[in-house]
Amino acid sequence: MGEVILAMPGQWAHDYREKADHYTSKIGGLPDWPDLDIPVSGKLLLCDFCGGKLCLVAQIYAPLSMAERSIDERVIYVLGCMKKDCGSNPQSWRVLRLQRCKQDIESKDEPLKAEQPEEESTSVAEDKPTSQSSSVKVCDDEDSDSDIDLDDLAQALEQAATLASNSKKQDGTKHTRKIVEGPVAKKLIDDLTTPVLPCFYIYSQRNSSEGRMDKANFVGGSSISLKEIEKSSGNESEGESWEGEAYEYDKALGADRTYLKFKKQLDAYPEQCFRYSYGGNALFPVANVPKLGACKICGSARRFELQLMPPLLYFLQEASDDSSNFSIDGWTWLTIIIFTCPKNCCSGTCDEKSSNSCRCIVEEEAIVIQDD
Amino acid sequence: MAERGGFGRGFGGRGDGEGGRGGRGRGGGRGDRRGGRRGNKSEEEKWVPVTKLGRLVKSGNITSLEQIYLHSLPVKEHQIVDALTKDLKDEVMKITPVQKQTRAGQRTRFKAFVVVGDGNGHVGLGVKCAKEVATAIRGAIILAKLSVIPVRRGYWGNKIGLPHTVPCKVTGKCGSVTVRMVPAPRGAGIVAARVPKKVLQFAGIEDVFTSSRGSTKILGNFVKATFDCLMKTYGFLTPDFWMETRFSNSPYQQYTDLLSKQATKAILPPTEEIPPVEV
Repeated sequence: MGEVILAMPGQWAHDYREKADHYTSKIGGLPDWPDLDIPVSGKLLLCDFCGGKLCLVAQIYAPLSMAERSIDERVIYVLGCMKKDCGSNPQSWRVLRLQRCKQDIESKDEPLKAEQPEEESTSVAEDKPTSQSSSVKVCDDEDSDSDIDLDDLAQALEQAATLASNSKKQDGTKHTRKIVEGPVAKKLIDDLTTPVLPCFYIYSQRNSSEGRMDKANFVGGSSISLKEIEKSSGNESEGESWEGEAYEYDKALGADRTYLKFKKQLDAYPEQCFRYSYGGNALFPVANVPKLGACKICGSARRFELQLMPPLLYFLQEASDDSSNFSIDGWTWLTIIIFTCPKNCCSGTCDEKSSNSCRCIVEEEAIVIQDD
Repeated sequence: MAERGGFGRGFGGRGDGEGGRGGRGRGGGRGDRRGGRRGNKSEEEKWVPVTKLGRLVKSGNITSLEQIYLHSLPVKEHQIVDALTKDLKDEVMKITPVQKQTRAGQRTRFKAFVVVGDGNGHVGLGVKCAKEVATAIRGAIILAKLSVIPVRRGYWGNKIGLPHTVPCKVTGKCGSVTVRMVPAPRGAGIVAARVPKKVLQFAGIEDVFTSSRGSTKILGNFVKATFDCLMKTYGFLTPDFWMETRFSNSPYQQYTDLLSKQATKAILPPTEEIPPVEV
């Protein structure tokens, strides 16, 4: 419970709007909503401060296994606003927890099987795109077999959607040929109004022991060797002696002790995009932290789940130099700490009789700590 | 009640395709897309900036420490100072053991005093306590780089050549120790005790008379008082500064890409083309 899992940056997406599934953890791009009975309401996707559309910052697949039940389909979406003034306003950030409530503990494979028949039925009519896409999708050599199967099905579904919605296409044969000609066959989400951040995928890594941190500190390099120190300490003379020294906490002109501890953790793994530790302790860069609210549904005090770290901003800025129309220079946060309800409560509309149980979206809380 | 956050587990299951691909294809993927090299882990490229100032320095928008000093921006990453200064030398002034009495005996830690400087107007002092000597030295170097300050130099008399001494009489204090620095003519050299002399050499001051008071045996306070004195050289208002300052934009505002600038690019959906006109 106390261990911290770090999210390291993986591969960039070939296109920022490409669709993954809701089991993928990624930064940027467009949110992958799983099959929902009711689509995500528009109000949740709008900024509280300026009213504009929020963009997806992070999508984290975070299943839980607790003693009495396990929630396999639990995804956390972090949404933010890219307008100039909204960056520093905590109201313009939104965290959504989307989970499927189940009464009985089922195996992990069953939700996949349950969804596959649904997708197969729609793709039967469009078996041409399936065969075409499987031949083209050899761009990534490292795909595992199971990944290709489900991706193909999802792709077929998406292609069916894009074919239906795209008005410029002339006829059926031309559609499939057009898709084959593209460099990559990844399906795109056909949503052009939402701002999109550069998208890359995430892989996880455990936070290993302390030894790593000492090595990290040495990156700056030093011109001093231990032998020189022993020599210089032997040079004491002239009645000088350093007396009366006591322990001193770390202090620098611009950085205080709390921030230096935060930076030390960051230096151990300089590329960490976020830290995940369900129920663990957050790493605060400043000493005084604003107070937390309680969960709106069950009233219990929220618990720390994960926090976004600054290297994420660096990667996004590096990527968005060339393309986008929206800039994230207004974002100057040091970390965004996300707290979730410890009971993983539901919004109360769950119907116990339904076999394919409902999905709930609950809004959770985020604390944005600014970099002054 | 055993609760396990399943974030890691999520990668073991479904996300493995993306995650595995991400892990292995990482270097190539980014290189292809950006032209920037990410697979190669050389020392200089390893710095991932944390603060906004760090991002500005890494991208090359800020080219000198003076821009940072002008707006009094706090420097929170030592790599910023590394990137902006050339030939910054460091030296360990002293490592002393510091003891704390516990029930199981005494616990000894080491306190390292490190001074960094380029000999040309920039100096920093770092103090760090740690259980091991090497850790203390490394930490003290980093703290010293975080505390690099500009030092103002002036003339004693004729303004010939480059400034060589402090511009005026300044005094600094730490604990009971006060250090007073007085401008000296060329050739006088640094007239100071061994410990503050080192700090002044790193600062780039060639001639100065010093006078100290208080319990200078506490050399930690002595060296910090000297450092405090050097900090005050730019705080002293001399007639040169009587001219009205023209305020300029801080780098944070200067390098923000305003939405107005980006609005000139048209929003094009990725696969749009003009449909052929039907004849």
